[in-house]
Amino acid sequence: MDASESTPVRVGASSVPCGHAIASEKWRGTDLAKFLQGKVKLVFEDGLGLVDFHLSNRTCILYITECEIVSGSSYKRRLVRFRKACTLNGIVLAERTRLTDQYFSPVQNFVVLELGMALLPVASQSEAAQLLFHLVQERSREGISNPFIRKKHFQLPDASILQTIQKIPGVGKVKALQLLQHFPSIQQLSNASFSQLENVVGHGIALNIYSFFTQ
Amino acid sequence: TINTAPCILVDSREIASGSEVISYLKAALGLKVEVCSLGGCDYIVSNRLAVERKSQSEFSNSVNKSKLVERIQHLHSLFERVCLIIENDRVKPGETSRILQRTKYYDSTLSALISARVQILFSSSQEETAGLLRDLVLLEQRKSTGINVPTELKGHKLEEMQFYLSIPNVSYITALNLCHHFETVRQMANSSVNVISEHAHVSVQKAEEIYRYLHYVFEKEMIL
Repeated sequence: MDASESTPVRVGASSVPCGHAIASEKWRGTDLAKFLQGKVKLVFEDGLGLVDFHLSNRTCILYITECEIVSGSSYKRRLVRFRKACTLNGIVLAERTRLTDQYFSPVQNFVVLELGMALLPVASQSEAAQLLFHLVQERSREGISNPFIRKKHFQLPDASILQTIQKIPGVGKVKALQLLQHFPSIQQLSNASFSQLENVVGHGIALNIYSFFTQ
Repeated sequence: TINTAPCILVDSREIASGSEVISYLKAALGLKVEVCSLGGCDYIVSNRLAVERKSQSEFSNSVNKSKLVERIQHLHSLFERVCLIIENDRVKPGETSRILQRTKYYDSTLSALISARVQILFSSSQEETAGLLRDLVLLEQRKSTGINVPTELKGHKLEEMQFYLSIPNVSYITALNLCHHFETVRQMANSSVNVISEHAHVSVQKAEEIYRYLHYVFEKEMIL
């Protein structure tokens, strides 16, 4: 075990400025670092431990090479140690090439289903660079303008309630409005007695409603 | 009403687009496959997890962006967890599989999905998709969130189901749990947040949402 592995994740690497990424020293001079030039400001640091890149204070990247996938379980140990060491969001980039395609499914099972981490396949370091660029951009936005995160706009439920009441057999819009006038919430309507209902909607439908709630 | 066979709910529209997924799921030992009309959701694998299945080509095409956004937002409003399976397109005999042209759209969409906590899985075929779905079902079962109510409903319970489904942000499985775990609708409508959470197998937050809906005082003026 080399020295860098004795500190699994360096906490000090946690403040990453916008548009920047902190890269482990071992990536200096690689194709990936070259492809990232001009797109992401890379700061190289020693002793990041198990992590290859820090994208923000919450998110980091663990990169698995083609060679690691083919040779077997050393990457598994690394990921397990990462999961045990910290609660940061780890995104795993794995080289999925012609050589490693057959191993992808077990890698995915291990990373996503067993460890609960995110896994994204890349075919090469240049693809990885493109993807890292977008991940950095996404992080620097921190959720704002992410279309998949639903903005909670409060809607008054009155229209829905009218729809819900109409699911009671025999109740259409007119009857639903009549009912809500006397029993203005679903809970109150559910507790109405048969004779109370009968006074509002008549015998037949009152029977339907009463048995719907109490049957 | 404990049902020990692991169960998965499949939307009826998947019969057309994912017929192989369904047959592999059925062939997989011990898995109970129920085809239902899930209304805007491909698979429900547990009380909290929905799975959306997309072909690689459909996913990669930016023309489909708004549809994808809408779908994921919809699933987020119904379920605690959302998973997306991106499946390679079927290769016709004699054709070689197309190599993915990785675009900006593709990478930025993946990044945004991860940031929105959508779990992403890649599959090379419908058979593999079925295997992934089975793994998810078993995993959720181990976490005690598996589906454990009968999916068949009769007579009066069918009407109740429609009633529960009309509650905003209530999923098919939540409505099913309400049907099976409350004797009457009246009983359900008078329950506390905690009892709703326990019986519907939903988070306290979701139970509160349901509770507020049941107690909300309707005003006619608001809809006119």
